[in-house]
Amino acid sequence: MLVITRRGIAAGLAATVAAPAIIRSAWAQAGTIKIGMVVPVTGAAAESGSFAQTGARIAVEQVNKAGGVLGKQLELVFEDDQTTNPGAVLAFSKLASQPDIVAFLGSIRSTQNHAMAPDMLKAGKPVGFGGTDPNLTKLGNPWLFRFRPNDSYSGKVIAQYGAKELGKKKWAIVHSTDAFGTAGAKALAEALPENGATLALDQGYANQSQDFTPVVLAVRQSGADVLGTYFTFETDLGIFARQLRQLGVTIPWVGSPSIVNISALKLAGPALHGTYGVADYAEDSSEASKSFGKAYRDVRKVAPDNQSSWTYDAVIVFALAMNKAGTTEPNKVRDAILAIRGHKGAEGEYNFDKNGDGLHGYNIVKNDKGEIKFDKRIDFTPQLG
Amino acid sequence: MDLALQLLFTGIGIGSVYALVALGFVLIFRATNVVNFAQGEFSMVAAFLMVVFAVKLDLPYGLSFLVALAGMALLGALFNLAVYYPLRHRTYLPVIISTIGASILMANGMLALHGPEPEVLSGWFETPGFLLGPVYFDSQYLLIIAVTALLVALQYWFFEHTLLGKKLQATSQDKEMASLLGIPVAAMIMITFVYSAVIGGIAGILVAPVLFVSIHMGATIALKAFAATIIGGFGDVTGAIIGGLALGVIETFGAAYVSVPYKDGFAFLVLIAFLIFRPQGIFGERVAEKA
Repeated sequence: MLVITRRGIAAGLAATVAAPAIIRSAWAQAGTIKIGMVVPVTGAAAESGSFAQTGARIAVEQVNKAGGVLGKQLELVFEDDQTTNPGAVLAFSKLASQPDIVAFLGSIRSTQNHAMAPDMLKAGKPVGFGGTDPNLTKLGNPWLFRFRPNDSYSGKVIAQYGAKELGKKKWAIVHSTDAFGTAGAKALAEALPENGATLALDQGYANQSQDFTPVVLAVRQSGADVLGTYFTFETDLGIFARQLRQLGVTIPWVGSPSIVNISALKLAGPALHGTYGVADYAEDSSEASKSFGKAYRDVRKVAPDNQSSWTYDAVIVFALAMNKAGTTEPNKVRDAILAIRGHKGAEGEYNFDKNGDGLHGYNIVKNDKGEIKFDKRIDFTPQLG
Repeated sequence: MDLALQLLFTGIGIGSVYALVALGFVLIFRATNVVNFAQGEFSMVAAFLMVVFAVKLDLPYGLSFLVALAGMALLGALFNLAVYYPLRHRTYLPVIISTIGASILMANGMLALHGPEPEVLSGWFETPGFLLGPVYFDSQYLLIIAVTALLVALQYWFFEHTLLGKKLQATSQDKEMASLLGIPVAAMIMITFVYSAVIGGIAGILVAPVLFVSIHMGATIALKAFAATIIGGFGDVTGAIIGGLALGVIETFGAAYVSVPYKDGFAFLVLIAFLIFRPQGIFGERVAEKA
């Protein structure tokens, strides 16, 4: 749905008035190499959009300090996606119409990337993105490169950690019945046999439930010795966690990323202490993650999260690839990205497979009395091509 | 057996929440003959007010409760003046649409003011609950059950045994006749809206420690409460209570013994069955014009 608001029109007018100035300044900086970035500046995700900008800016600063790209300075061009799909499509087309932009950063939201994908194919230049829907790199679009692990890995990581590290073989899976929860639970259930584990209970629930007593009692009765979960909403997770503890269930619990997000920690409090979760960015997971964490704290005074780590990694990888290719010609840059092996980024080690997926594992973090601590990194060997 | 007892307690607890919100529906329906679809938003706004006073400003819990309810009384009065009063001489349809509009405005207004993050509100009691044999009693649910019982008794006494209550009933049954008898109809309706907003507010503040405080909390509870009102018989206080409790118990047992994902389905299957076979509800009288 296209929403025309007074503020939107005002912003459009402002942009039109400002355009000559932007063009002039672009002229003055003709010696730069430009990366266009679609990012939420307004709308519900405006705050996380500013984190994403900071991550990318830190990367640009580091690249330029180290000599830039092909002897020129790197520069970012931002375009507001208004946290909507039509906004993202419009933002991308504005960027794509500027011929001097050599690569793009898309969205952290899968749905927005799906919306922009046809235009990305037409643009014919590399696009880095953060959405985790596995299908995005299977669209037959050669220009899409993912800088976060896709959802198929989280189920495998949860299964392996619970079965191998915690030594628990009898699983109860509780998941939302929406697309995210169902797909995640399926991946987790499929990964159990290869880890020598069995499924004691597969329990779906509808989002926005007010009570989880029947679910908790089902978990208790199943005799499972470990719990794996895919919750979509933090309120649901909070109610479930509390009722789980009240009804005396204390088995180890490994959850999808929402179990360690800040809202969930606030809502559920002590009910989540001692649980494990998968996280794509964990500050203590590697030297590269730590040094990004430090650089980020110097700028923003707070800890970074995956909103900023993927844009940081994407800019660094693009710069690396262009320097290796010795050109900004899209096909050669694409080949250089696909050839990247063992690059240590903030999110993990990048080895691009033929689909354009750069990461192939997750971090396991533990909720230690409300503090999230890195526990272990689990990576899978991808089929590189 | 242990399982059934636990489910019964939870079912009654959650059913009491539905019943409490249903009381607000019934009150306004009795006074104005329309359904107030913003009743759930009263609960949501009150819970957020409570967060502001008790958590952000760190006022004592009891004081915050009273200030939040005073805020709700004011909101009820404003609601009456802005949403109902200008349309009072029209049929029920424009008024219903007006309450739907108000509900959207309240939810989005709160979203704009506060943002989408859910909040935590601690319960009235220090201890979250206790085990009695095999059954865990959540202290907040116990409080909800007690307050619901108290408010029902109060409401019964008020409508049946006080002059003001009888004036309100007369207003509800026939506004013209009531006004000919010297009952100030506009004032009666104002009182009803204020009281409904307060009672919706009490429900919201009581459930907030269990369900958390979020923009959507009102809508999810109100839908079930609306179903409870129809099952019980629109306009009947006892009916709303029985309907709410029945709905809570049915959906909890349905989820445990049949299917969790279709939990909400049971509630609405019961609703549909009532609409087909007994549209006037358990306690309702067959009054054609109210259907």
